Amino acid sequence: MNNNNLPTAGLEPLTRRGFLRAATLTGMALTAGCASLGGRRTPNGEAVYAHLSEEEARVLTRLTEILLPTEQFGLPSSTGEVPTVANINDMAGDMAPQTRDLMAMVLWIFERRPMASFRFSRFTRLDDEEALRYVRAMQSGTFFERGLMTTLHTAVCVNYWRDSRTWPGLDYHGPVTGIWGVRRLGNAPMPTA
Amino acid sequence: MRAINIPRDGLPVTTARDMARDDSISGRFTLKTEVVVIGSGAGGSMVAWELARAGRQVLVVEAGPYHPSSAFTEHLGDTMTEIYREQAAQLNATADVLFPEGACVGGSTVIGACVMQQPPDSVLRRWSGELGLKNLAPDVIKPLFEEVGREQYVHLNDAHEINTTAHKVIQGCERMGFSWKPVSRNVRQCALTGHCLAGCPSDRKMSALVTHLPWAVGHGARVMADTEVTRVLIRNGRAYGVEAVVRDPRTRQKVADLRIDAEVVVAAGGAIQTPLLLQRSEIPDVSGQLGKNLAVQPFVQVLARFREELHGFRGALVGVEIDEFIETDGYMFFSALAEPEQLMIQGNQGAGPDHINFMKSYKHLAGLNAFAVDEGRGEVKWKGSHTDGRKVISWNPSRSEFEKLKHGAALASRVFFAAGAEEIYLPSFQRLSAPSVFDLDARLDEITYGVRGMYSLRINSFSSHGTCRMGVDRYQAVTNARGEVYDVKGLFVADASLLPEPMASAPHWTVQTLAKQVAQGIHARGQELFLKG
Repeated sequence: MNNNNLPTAGLEPLTRRGFLRAATLTGMALTAGCASLGGRRTPNGEAVYAHLSEEEARVLTRLTEILLPTEQFGLPSSTGEVPTVANINDMAGDMAPQTRDLMAMVLWIFERRPMASFRFSRFTRLDDEEALRYVRAMQSGTFFERGLMTTLHTAVCVNYWRDSRTWPGLDYHGPVTGIWGVRRLGNAPMPTA
Repeated sequence: MRAINIPRDGLPVTTARDMARDDSISGRFTLKTEVVVIGSGAGGSMVAWELARAGRQVLVVEAGPYHPSSAFTEHLGDTMTEIYREQAAQLNATADVLFPEGACVGGSTVIGACVMQQPPDSVLRRWSGELGLKNLAPDVIKPLFEEVGREQYVHLNDAHEINTTAHKVIQGCERMGFSWKPVSRNVRQCALTGHCLAGCPSDRKMSALVTHLPWAVGHGARVMADTEVTRVLIRNGRAYGVEAVVRDPRTRQKVADLRIDAEVVVAAGGAIQTPLLLQRSEIPDVSGQLGKNLAVQPFVQVLARFREELHGFRGALVGVEIDEFIETDGYMFFSALAEPEQLMIQGNQGAGPDHINFMKSYKHLAGLNAFAVDEGRGEVKWKGSHTDGRKVISWNPSRSEFEKLKHGAALASRVFFAAGAEEIYLPSFQRLSAPSVFDLDARLDEITYGVRGMYSLRINSFSSHGTCRMGVDRYQAVTNARGEVYDVKGLFVADASLLPEPMASAPHWTVQTLAKQVAQGIHARGQELFLKG
């Protein structure tokens, strides 16, 4: 797949209805402890998460595949080895109810937004090339489309790159105080008058 | 002579778990103290130490958890989960400007980047002259600044504290003819780990965790974590204590309701939390300024990719600043490149292979944060009841603030191009980069103000201030020059809320200095404020 020459325009305008606040998630993505993929699976092999609906998990999994095609770059798989969606699930479990509702709305809209521009298809039914084109169109869309896309982009990518297994691929050293044997100084002495 | 025992390591902090285990504590209990300090960050810890060493009985209450230095993992993702307010997702009302804060014992000093700056004398002269705040005149306040500087081990970065990211900024400045200098930081024997934003596990950052809080404890102050003050109690124009709720930080379940009877109440929760508390407390506010005048010192980060490997995330997080524009234009620039997670905050780095390639270039990246002084038009408001309401932070860039930030991004980009950058990543909600300086203006033109500047530039704020500004006119300010709330005797503010105007300097040092002045003022009025004089 050549991702370099794909057009970025083509989305029809969305209404602004209650939509601005959806991007509350912009920074919210910087959250949550890592979790194991584990958990239950449906008979067709889909993971079941405690804090994400089936559809939400499907959208996030597909978005993870599109944003982070890691295996072709020799990085740990974003959907297998690193529990990206499970991390987002943990994040959702810690959200305030109002924020959680907004995340649900963002994902609902994101899943259905392509229907206006991609032959009535939902995001999860687009092929790789179309899905990437859709993501890029959202990134260069109207101001609230950019907000929505950036929110989801941040949620997915933070919850992948926060995993220390991804760091060797970046030549990032991670924690060093222990490795270097840096001694703790303890509390600072009280200044003398 | 009193024996002073400073804990060698960590702090004796009463947590929700301690209270849950204590059979003598029921669902509701009352404590008595002379001074209750709300918040344990830069301002609160200073007040606690100053008043404890003056012999006052001091209780510090902190809404966040106690996270000792030994528990820091140098893992930014986990740290954000545990000790950043709302897991680093404190946002403005339109959800496009981030306001990261520490929410733990030690407050934002625990996760700060250690930058310490004094306001220029010209600013202090204006505050003392035009605004009439004689207590801020350079000859009055400078000795306090120096005292705080010694307490905080403030020093100019030495050569070994200037990493490759910073050296790229220096190279660019030299070629552009811009003035630069090493940053002043409050670090003792910096270990150069680059993990400031995730807390300092070896106690080298001079956060409140290892300075003023243990010193205050050494003088008898007590510290409670997991304890959120819901309102200040006021009767007949006099503060007489606070109400608080103790919650388990993991389950958020209530452990107890708490009332603290105190003769002096000091609010030091920062410029966002303090006005919210005072609004919940329904303090008289004849000025109508409570929560208003929010200045956020907004910043954007420009990333640059160089041909050579920099590993710019190694070494001291902040190395140099560009000081060419502070006094003339209100701009500050600081070199910095943090953990991989931090790159997501910068903006949109593409999708699919574009994103992976961007991340794979991490070791080739350098970062420069461009700060601008804003107009102080923001507002913090508590909506709803004091128990069930919510906060609303209103700040979006005006057109001129937007243009300033964009200009700051342009300057930062040019510095990096002058240093030889191969590509610049612009801090926008769009996916924008410039491969050369000749393409820069065209790319910048694509970042437009749009609707109230929303979802346009990627803006963050670590330095809110001004929401309970001090002033000599009770109809224009929330507190007087002593930091005491007008019309509420015994209620003081000691944090960045006090700053009378938007300022361009990093506020940490100023906040601690003001807090010291407020505390010394309280001590000087002992006869008036305390029963035992």
